[in-house]
Amino acid sequence: MKYTYDDEADARTTAMIRVMALFFVGIMIIAATTSPVATGTKEGERAPALEGKYYNGSGWFDFDLESYWDPLWVEGDITGQWVALEFMDTDCPYCVQSAEDISVDSNDFGSSDSGWDGAIVNFIASVAELNIEGHDSSRSEITAFRNKIADSGESCANIDCGSRPGGAHNFPYIDDLDLENMQKWKVSGTPSYYLIQPNGIIAWSSAENQGEELRDAILTLVPRESA
Amino acid sequence: MDANIQLMLYLVPTVVGLLLVLPLGRSIVTPFTERYTSLATERGRIFFGLILTCIAGAAVSFQTLWISSKISEAGGEFCSAGGVFSCDDVIGNTDYNVDPIFGLPWGGIGAVVFCILLYFAYSSFKEPNADWVSMHLKLGVLVTFSGFFVIALLVYYEIQMEKICQYCSTAHLANIAAFIGFFRLVRMNDSDTWNDS
Repeated sequence: MKYTYDDEADARTTAMIRVMALFFVGIMIIAATTSPVATGTKEGERAPALEGKYYNGSGWFDFDLESYWDPLWVEGDITGQWVALEFMDTDCPYCVQSAEDISVDSNDFGSSDSGWDGAIVNFIASVAELNIEGHDSSRSEITAFRNKIADSGESCANIDCGSRPGGAHNFPYIDDLDLENMQKWKVSGTPSYYLIQPNGIIAWSSAENQGEELRDAILTLVPRESA
Repeated sequence: MDANIQLMLYLVPTVVGLLLVLPLGRSIVTPFTERYTSLATERGRIFFGLILTCIAGAAVSFQTLWISSKISEAGGEFCSAGGVFSCDDVIGNTDYNVDPIFGLPWGGIGAVVFCILLYFAYSSFKEPNADWVSMHLKLGVLVTFSGFFVIALLVYYEIQMEKICQYCSTAHLANIAAFIGFFRLVRMNDSDTWNDS
């Protein structure tokens, strides 16, 4: 016997089909009209917030990483400013050693005065106080490390902060002694570096490119006039 | 279209749905009962208000999911007003715009939940005397009651941010209306008035 219409059909099936159709239409509209970018610290993801007080050489001020982003930036545009972010600890020996490289890199890529014909790279350091014995930092230690102040009484990895390698740094140093930013960025150790595009998307991270230097990443990824 | 005018597409049906599930809904629909006979009964009125609310709740949730996707795409602006009402600042805040356990966007959770509620309401409306209707209505009460904890958390987030997301608030209102609707239907289903015409 053939039924053309089933009066006994369960209303649940009909309701389910209609509601699911509504749901999938909604999802398809969103999928067709947007290209969301996940927020995270892996390459290709949108950089999470980085906030706190930063030292710029004259005092401590509010810092907000988001103020660096230009949502209208397009790939290849050399007018957009990139960000090189370093997570460090003033008592970490590797961070002290790498301070020289960072001095050179920030001088080379931080402005066009050095002859660099590519997009400007803004250097930023987020200073943590790792939970390791002997790592005892403070804002005055951050200041002494950044400005390379000799005989300040502050010790950076068992040496006078003023005798660390490299020159004084002139870029922002963020107070992350409570490790809030470091935890948010899921940084497992210091020093860790991130190179971030002007639109806030992470282009390179040292964690995903073991053995590769920040300088090489900048030379490879940051657009240049001569390229 | 201005974000606040667009919001009216969701807010108006939500408020109408809320009024219909309340006891005062009778006076609102009186002029329409001749043409739409299902509105003449208390049960029909509540079901209509409930379905309207669930559709509006699902739609506004999809819209918030769309806004959060757009913001993450290019950091663009949709309804940033620079004042207290700014859905961009709330939905675009990566610290708060996903649930703390699975990391799912709140808009997506809202869309799924309101579709489930719509299924409970619509299936019960289509076959009001089926055995499973009581269970569907009670599940509706349970889900919408659980929603109050989520609303409390999200309102707490808004207080932290000192911003109010008007789209999120519309979805919260839809949940409250749906709770009232399901609760009243459960009570009616347990009484003798369920099949009153």
